[in-house]
Amino acid sequence: MISDELKKVILEALKLDDFDIKDETVASQVPGWDSLSHINVILAVEKHFNIRFNNREVLRLKNVGDLQRLVTSKLQG
Amino acid sequence: MHQHGIKRGEVCALIIRHNPDFYPLYMAISSLGAIPAVLAYPNPRLHPDKFRQGIEGMSHRSGLDWILTEKELDPIIRPLVEKEGSTIKGIHFPLEWNKALTADDTFLNEIKELHQGIKNTDPLLLQHSSGTTGLQKPVLLSHRAVLNHVENYAEAIHLNENDKVVSWLPLYHDMGLIAAFHLPLAFGIPSVQVDPFEWVMVPSLLFEAISKEKGTVSWLPNFSYNMMADKIQDDELENISLESVRMFINCSEPVRKESHKKFHDRFEQYGLKPNSLSACYAMAETTYGVTQVEPGTEPSLLIVDRQEMSKGKIKISDDHEVSRACISSGKTIKGCEIKIVDENRNEVSDDSIGEIAIKSASMFDGYRNYPEKTAEVLQDGWYYSGDYGFKYNGEYYIIGRKKDIIIVTGNNVYPEDVEEAVSKVEDVIPGRVVAFGEEDPEIGSEQISVIAETNLLNEDEQKKLKMAIVKAGMDIDITIRKIYLVPPRWLIKSSAGKPSRKANRERIIDLKENKVELK
Repeated sequence: MISDELKKVILEALKLDDFDIKDETVASQVPGWDSLSHINVILAVEKHFNIRFNNREVLRLKNVGDLQRLVTSKLQG
Repeated sequence: MHQHGIKRGEVCALIIRHNPDFYPLYMAISSLGAIPAVLAYPNPRLHPDKFRQGIEGMSHRSGLDWILTEKELDPIIRPLVEKEGSTIKGIHFPLEWNKALTADDTFLNEIKELHQGIKNTDPLLLQHSSGTTGLQKPVLLSHRAVLNHVENYAEAIHLNENDKVVSWLPLYHDMGLIAAFHLPLAFGIPSVQVDPFEWVMVPSLLFEAISKEKGTVSWLPNFSYNMMADKIQDDELENISLESVRMFINCSEPVRKESHKKFHDRFEQYGLKPNSLSACYAMAETTYGVTQVEPGTEPSLLIVDRQEMSKGKIKISDDHEVSRACISSGKTIKGCEIKIVDENRNEVSDDSIGEIAIKSASMFDGYRNYPEKTAEVLQDGWYYSGDYGFKYNGEYYIIGRKKDIIIVTGNNVYPEDVEEAVSKVEDVIPGRVVAFGEEDPEIGSEQISVIAETNLLNEDEQKKLKMAIVKAGMDIDITIRKIYLVPPRWLIKSSAGKPSRKANRERIIDLKENKVELK
């Protein structure tokens, strides 16, 4: 499940009013989420949750579900 | 390759992601006298039909013979190969091939003979730009052109045995293929290649590679200076040293002064030398470089009177309010000549702006199977680049272009491709669309904007239409950043009766400058 909080951060970073974001959603399905804006999404998530991802973690993300799990594990850790 | 039936003169498209095996495969094709054409691996957002359409367009144009790719693309590409009338002879998955190949003497001699039969006037490679409406022009380069170029360009950047190239550039682009691969290959200099898909997600990877490998030369399109300065965090820079770098060469989109400054200010404390920030002017048609800033010097900066510039004249200004900063791309490299010409292709004086025409020892052999396009740009040994610029104190400054092509983060985008896709969106009036590039100072590049005529007036409906236009762009792997919806008959037509990109772009920019609210 993608939390409303994460969804909001992603949509704001992409300047989108609304878009259905699920666990299996991949960046290429979301308007404006291209290779250039990907880093903006990652930085916005890090800033909002006050966490840091390392390079390997960023490169391993396959979909939004992976991002949600990573955020959750960082917040719990 | 030989065993798989690939023959001399055949065009082999290589569609393979970042992989160490790519390089020997590329060289194997070349050593048989076949012609490698490196194509971009499709982004997941690119619609399979559009991807096929692009390949089909190329195969019709350049007679694509073989596709060498990854197994994953088989279901997407196979229908194209099996289609009736296809010129494509087959599809191979060379990463799956058995590497423990044994070859007897007869076999090796066959290859040797084939290799020795290659003349330096034979084609070495095809450079294909991307696109979906078949506008792509395949640039054909001979062995001679590339060999001349690596020699002349190496001299221009003082390439030496202590150099080490570090690059994140894709190899379907001339800067990645020629500067970061053929050049070091010809001189036996190491080249450290970072996956472009990974670099764009983690830009600090380039610095990690430079630091670890003590890299000395790196080519970058302008947007990457902004990207690295703005997005790399302090904790990623621990233990990073850029002291080994003698040249960061800005190329393939206009060099922006602010980008160099940002990059310098951000990374000076990590050993970045101000005189390592270099620039060059290059294009696939001349193999790569035409001009280069002298190594060890910063590119010259000219503050030019904007009003005089609009009249096509160069006058140095001391009033920063009404001036434009122009960054030099340096002097012509050995083997290249430049003349600046007017619209009748007559040479203009040194204080005038005009189109840049080039004569080069590394000139392409034309666009393959496209004599009419070749004739448009090649005349009496001069290549008419379509770029505007001027000469000052023996150095060249590139300031704009005649063609409507949009350069987004170093990649050329044909506005026709975008317009065709947007034109098909429901509620957009067909044919009443223009696409153009709009400068984005934040990312240090151009972004794609679209003006589309529609009868929709309702705000919610317009919002939905905008989303549909963005999605139409996504299907051809293009991000449309700004959409202006306008009523019917808003677009200004050119003399040919089609909506004019230039006039409508100027109209939008004018309205924005006058703070007129746009939908």
